[in-house]
Amino acid sequence: MQIIHDRNPAMPKSWNRDSKPHRFCPGCGHGIFLKALGEVIDELGIAERTVFGCDIGCSLLAWDFFNVDSVQTHHGRTIPVVAGAKRANPELIVVAYMGDGGGYAIGAQHLVNAALRNEQITVLLANNSVYAMTGGQMAPTTLPGQKTGTTPYGRDPEATGQPTLGPEMVAAITSDRAYVARGTVANFPRLKRYVKQAIENQLAGRGFSFVEALSGCPTNWRTNAKQTWSYLDDEMTKYFPLGEIKVPKVSEEEQQ
Amino acid sequence: MLRRVEAFVGEHAAGKSEIAITRALALRQEGLPVALVDLDLVEPTYTLRPLQGRLREEGLDVIAWETKQTLGLGEAGMQLHPQVKGVLLRHSGYVVCDVGYGVYGSEVLALVEGLLDFPRLSVYLVVNTCRPLTRDEEQIVVEAQRFRPLHGLINNTHLGAETTVELVQQGARVVQAAAQRLHLPVVATAALVEVAEQMGKWDVCGNPVWPLKRYMPLAFW
Amino acid sequence: MDTIFIKEQRAFMTGNEVIAWAALAAGADIMYGYPITPQNEIMHYWTRLAPKYGRGFLQTEDELSAGFATLGGVMAGKKAFCATAGPGNVLMQEPISMAEMMRIPAVWFIQQRGGPSTATVIYSQQETRLTCFGGNGEGLRLVYSTATHQEIFDYTLKAFNHAWRYRFPTFVLGDGYQAKMREALTLYDPQTRGTQLQSTSPMLGVKGKVQHHRNTFNIEEELYETLSKHLAEWQQMAREVVEWSVSGDEEPDLLLVAHGVVSRATMAASKQLREKGYRVGHFRPITLRPFPITALQEIAGKSQQILVVESAHGQLMSLVRDALYGCSCAPVHGLLRPGLGITAEQVIRQAEELLPKRGYSGANHS
Repeated sequence: MQIIHDRNPAMPKSWNRDSKPHRFCPGCGHGIFLKALGEVIDELGIAERTVFGCDIGCSLLAWDFFNVDSVQTHHGRTIPVVAGAKRANPELIVVAYMGDGGGYAIGAQHLVNAALRNEQITVLLANNSVYAMTGGQMAPTTLPGQKTGTTPYGRDPEATGQPTLGPEMVAAITSDRAYVARGTVANFPRLKRYVKQAIENQLAGRGFSFVEALSGCPTNWRTNAKQTWSYLDDEMTKYFPLGEIKVPKVSEEEQQ
Repeated sequence: MLRRVEAFVGEHAAGKSEIAITRALALRQEGLPVALVDLDLVEPTYTLRPLQGRLREEGLDVIAWETKQTLGLGEAGMQLHPQVKGVLLRHSGYVVCDVGYGVYGSEVLALVEGLLDFPRLSVYLVVNTCRPLTRDEEQIVVEAQRFRPLHGLINNTHLGAETTVELVQQGARVVQAAAQRLHLPVVATAALVEVAEQMGKWDVCGNPVWPLKRYMPLAFW
Repeated sequence: MDTIFIKEQRAFMTGNEVIAWAALAAGADIMYGYPITPQNEIMHYWTRLAPKYGRGFLQTEDELSAGFATLGGVMAGKKAFCATAGPGNVLMQEPISMAEMMRIPAVWFIQQRGGPSTATVIYSQQETRLTCFGGNGEGLRLVYSTATHQEIFDYTLKAFNHAWRYRFPTFVLGDGYQAKMREALTLYDPQTRGTQLQSTSPMLGVKGKVQHHRNTFNIEEELYETLSKHLAEWQQMAREVVEWSVSGDEEPDLLLVAHGVVSRATMAASKQLREKGYRVGHFRPITLRPFPITALQEIAGKSQQILVVESAHGQLMSLVRDALYGCSCAPVHGLLRPGLGITAEQVIRQAEELLPKRGYSGANHS
């Protein structure tokens, strides 16, 4: 394990210092996911062209998180907003950032159809298995048996279905030009690699890219640090397998 | 008599229904049995549907929905009236088809069983040169490519109540020029009765003038 | 930009087609749409014309997406527009609310249909209230209600220009009847008539400038401050854009009030009633939002009675009553036919029941 001696680890240049420290709860996964995005924006040198879209729920707390153009909306409509912007100005690199409620429930039609149309956009979705900002209700990704505000006796899959497998669904409906992966905030280097691949797919003009990140919500899970990591690593991965699910075919021309 | 089928096609609001009615009534006045078929699958308004009672009184066999028979009119396009499908099998005289607009052009005729193979089928393109997409020779030629088969053109140039003889004649020249490039005849120039009376029997290019009585203002909804 | 109309021309077409041509002439760059009757031909004609003039189109998965993608297009600096009707208009209140809050100058075409819910697709003015005040907000919008094809053309040009000048979501409110009706109009390039097209400015993607746009606020005061600024700017705009037409007798026994397609019937009725010797006035709001309050108060103050005529059950009437509250003693009657067509004859019949017998006209004015 590498020990970091610097007390102030480098903040991505694309982060907006004025809005730091950020507004997420201690232990929240959003900061890690957005650090991955920030470092990728820096490494690819695309801050000037990037439009960061965020949704309702905790993701909206990131409306001024970056030193890049940002737009905040709600209900998963972040996808059509950035898709509309990309269609109007293809020079932009657009990212729609949202939670599982926005992407898999109230805005699911936007995710499905943007993926089907192979929109030249990147969707980053944090899966923390609850509606967090509204106070911890059942989300599409809530695990069977998991206690939430609206499943006080634990989620019953018979009555409410199984957790949504978002990346698997997106992979099943996209063309071979799409990139789809599921990472976790518990493995930063791998998550960052996925995010980078996703953005690069858009930069190459290949098409839709989608990364889900398993993300902790200690506040709504009522877990301490150890329990949080354990829930992420041991419980969530039982239902949500990690890894790249779809890697786009790259033509010989593109390889050169 | 030999059965014949005439179908009127063209742009949205080109005047297809109006011409179809005029033509059907003219044939009926010659004593021929005439069926008038509503093949408009797009437009819930300005069609034969609301006029059929009146047209039946004038002796036409109108095949169209009654408004009260329809549900969700215009919501999901129009349903095909079942009798349309077999009209060629049942009807013994002239069949005049009012074909609605749309990207499919004359493909709609495939919905009438046997029609596209029917030997005496004439498909006529109705053109109003006061519509921007058919305003000149070039555009009419492009528009005509959408319709196959096509047997002739009809000049229906008008501006509603503002129509003048000069306007109709100007349209006749444009349509004639386009028809020549398409190697097709101009079947007629249609004009409102008042205008047609001033024009006489033939337009400036020597094509017959069909006097047109307006029915469509009564047809809305 | 390509020349759309080489010279002015009279043309004969439907209202939906007029919108497609007018949007082209207004310099619209891209349309985002979703099918719903009776606005479909706007998309049909836009998709035929757009590739010829280098313009864009995207058909989305639903009206929510069409509305939000329109906002994305506008934020990227393009003249983007959207069209819908009825239940689609209901869904679009969500993106329209965002446009109000973020001051996104998107243009919407609404072809009203019968309601509530699925209902019918032709004659209706039942989306008056929805189009003016839908959404969770204060109705910070600009709504033009057209009555003729020429107006559809003219006000489409104006809608794009005013949207981008004032940065409030802007509407051209028609109906299924106007959408399908055939009528002659003059097509023209606005610049040949001295109307400059308003330039656009992107909210996203401007080099050397980082812009953060949000709908969310931390504290009530923060929202209130933003909203107060918007309200003040909306009021300022209202003074500059409010439009109406008034005609007929200046001190009428009966003032007819109608908007949109219905005003064609009331105008005809007004003319015929005056020919019969009645003292009749006619007032038509052209902007429904802002509503021409002062102008209506002025004529209403000199009117004995008011008859509001609409193809809805009191949506215009409530705007009229609000405008006149405390300013006019004239009783406000309604000829309210929700989702039904209205003819001049019906208006005349109703008016004659209200009007004093001819010959006595004016007797009780002094």
